[in-house]
Amino acid sequence: MRAPIAAALLAACCLMSGCARHLPAMNDEQPVPRPQQIVSFDPLYGQNCSACHGSNGQNGPALDLNNPVFQQLMDDATLHRAIRDGVPGTQMPAFGESAGGMLTEPQVDALVAGMRKRWATEGTTRPAQIPSVTTTLTGNAAHGQQLFATDCRSCHSGKQQQVTDPTYLALVSDQALRILLIAGRPDLGHPGSQTGWQTVANGHAASDQDVTDLVAYLASLRSATPGQPYPGTADGVAQAVSNDPARTRLSAQPTTQSRTEK
Amino acid sequence: MSRMKQIYSWLDARLQLGKPLMEMGEHPIPNRTASWWYVFGSAAFTLLMLQIVTGILLALVYVPSAGEAWNSLNFLNHQLTLGWFLRAMHGWGSNFMVAVVLIHMAQVFLFGAYKYPRELTWTLGVFLLLMTLGMAFTGQVMRFDQDAYWGLGIGASILSRVPWVGGSLVHMMLGGPIIAGATLSRFFTLHVFVIPGMMLAFTFLHVWMVLKLGINEWPMPGRVVRRSTYMAEYHELTAKDGRPFVPGGVWKDAVFSAAILAAVAVCAVVFGPFGPGGQPDPTIIQTAPKPDFFFLWLYSVLSYLPPSMETPFLLIAPVLGIAALLGLPFYASEGEKSWHRRPIAILALTTIAVSWGVLTHLGTYTPWSPHMDAWSGGPAIPARYLQTASPLEREGAVVFQAKQCRNCHSIGGYGGERGPALDDIATRMTEDQLIRQVLQGGGNMPAYGKNLSPAEVTALVRFLQTLHPANEPSAADAAQAATQAGH
Repeated sequence: MRAPIAAALLAACCLMSGCARHLPAMNDEQPVPRPQQIVSFDPLYGQNCSACHGSNGQNGPALDLNNPVFQQLMDDATLHRAIRDGVPGTQMPAFGESAGGMLTEPQVDALVAGMRKRWATEGTTRPAQIPSVTTTLTGNAAHGQQLFATDCRSCHSGKQQQVTDPTYLALVSDQALRILLIAGRPDLGHPGSQTGWQTVANGHAASDQDVTDLVAYLASLRSATPGQPYPGTADGVAQAVSNDPARTRLSAQPTTQSRTEK
Repeated sequence: MSRMKQIYSWLDARLQLGKPLMEMGEHPIPNRTASWWYVFGSAAFTLLMLQIVTGILLALVYVPSAGEAWNSLNFLNHQLTLGWFLRAMHGWGSNFMVAVVLIHMAQVFLFGAYKYPRELTWTLGVFLLLMTLGMAFTGQVMRFDQDAYWGLGIGASILSRVPWVGGSLVHMMLGGPIIAGATLSRFFTLHVFVIPGMMLAFTFLHVWMVLKLGINEWPMPGRVVRRSTYMAEYHELTAKDGRPFVPGGVWKDAVFSAAILAAVAVCAVVFGPFGPGGQPDPTIIQTAPKPDFFFLWLYSVLSYLPPSMETPFLLIAPVLGIAALLGLPFYASEGEKSWHRRPIAILALTTIAVSWGVLTHLGTYTPWSPHMDAWSGGPAIPARYLQTASPLEREGAVVFQAKQCRNCHSIGGYGGERGPALDDIATRMTEDQLIRQVLQGGGNMPAYGKNLSPAEVTALVRFLQTLHPANEPSAADAAQAATQAGH
């Protein structure tokens, strides 16, 4: 009768003294912080960026941030400004508190620093011939059109990867087009998409002028009334709402813009 | 040993408790009642004792002040040896207690044990249930975090709907016009002094009556309760086919209570304590407060009720419900006890249990509520959906995210559930229907025509048109194809 009581007492003492430390501790080691106090990259990126830019900075619908060329192209201040104030002419919204978002300055800094640490390739120096993110050159749309015809059309004129669609062009700014042209979208795994700017110009790396001209050409394709539904009809809305034969005949004729496309 | 006996005799000569306690232990119970079905009441009592012990230990550290409560809970969780375990035991003890009390009540109802002469036992039991729920709610307030803060806000707004005196009631509940230190002091007093004190008194009377009136016999079809004959029949039964409570029935109570305590401890170790969540600061708006599980059903009900029904439901339904529970033993104090002869009772209990289960389950994932951060956070639209997308379609996917469509519509299993999942929307709606739905809304969806540019709508719809299984064509408008072919 004494033995079990002694064992129970021993167990109780054990629990009271030190063995208790071997019990699993709390999962979360820290109290729940205020949202503004979170400055580690993973939760911030996971709450604010991953849905558009992909959980590892790749394969999201929006620009791949996990792209060494992109990381080389952008300086810290530009990235910081883009996150804080958003990017006009694109869907990128402002996340900074100063612009009505939820992130404080240190949090934006943490995002920029985290991206650099993870996705900027260590040790590689920026190639000399890589065009810079902004330019002072003036674009020549006609030369851009020639370049497009020789170097881009084979992939980008078909229905699948058409970039000349005025609706698409209405949703991306010139700056965004320039970044996309230089950095590419290697994460998509499309043929030739691994290299971005290096494939343009007959396999030779595109110069700053080439990129500027291409952007100027694409910009010239923008329409005053983008977003017309019904592919294949130049003036789809008119056709949809009206059965007037004269109107539909008129709309079936190619406009200046779609002629430029051809 | 004789020394011990001497002390006992000295004490008992004055206290006079020995004989009544022996009588209580030896009081006869029907043989069939010494069953595993009759262990829930004693388990609820054991859990009450656990809550009192763990509660006292917690009160040694907890600081019931608005400025310090949250910190003292985090101190318990993170600094004090086994402090987290103590909090987890108290929290899980509370969950188990609500569950066991409800099961106990269902069993008593099912076995007809509320009938003559045990009407008052049931009535006190109903009050004990309300107090248990009151302890659960006030306990949630003790965990002074965001859930507690907003839970109080909900409680206050419910109370404010009482006609004429609503404002004064809220003022009384909160100890002022806002949720502040006085509110926590009030709820601390309720949770630690008022309700537990009443609970102990009611529990004593409840158990007293169980011991004095005898435990309910096993219900048999055809054995009908009549006021004039019941007591004689019961005593005859226990005399003929009974056994003393100790040890005949008590060992099952002891085993089950021990098992329940072990289950609480296992849950406490495995799942840990509840919260505290974020600081109770109303300026932190990145929060989705939720009640603890025993109030999830109410949360679901209030979410689904049309606004015009809220006040009548909140003010009338509890009164009716409590009145029905209190009135039950007086309305049906005689008659059949067996569930074989009480179809309405079975149906009522099943309906309540199933409704409660469904509403609680809905409350766990709140399909009515948009997921406010799905537009920016969480997994992206699966890569396979965008692998062959054109630049316009991909831009449409960006619009889908940036305009927060995903807060209500899931894709790839992630996103809100307020609207339908859109993984195969293109098989259900044509281009025109998609455009109309986006622009004009309808079917519980707001209109986005004024918030999206034509280019954004077109890009979005193009993206949505790609959402169909590879082996299933997307829905198409035959008239549109014919019109376009004609030109």
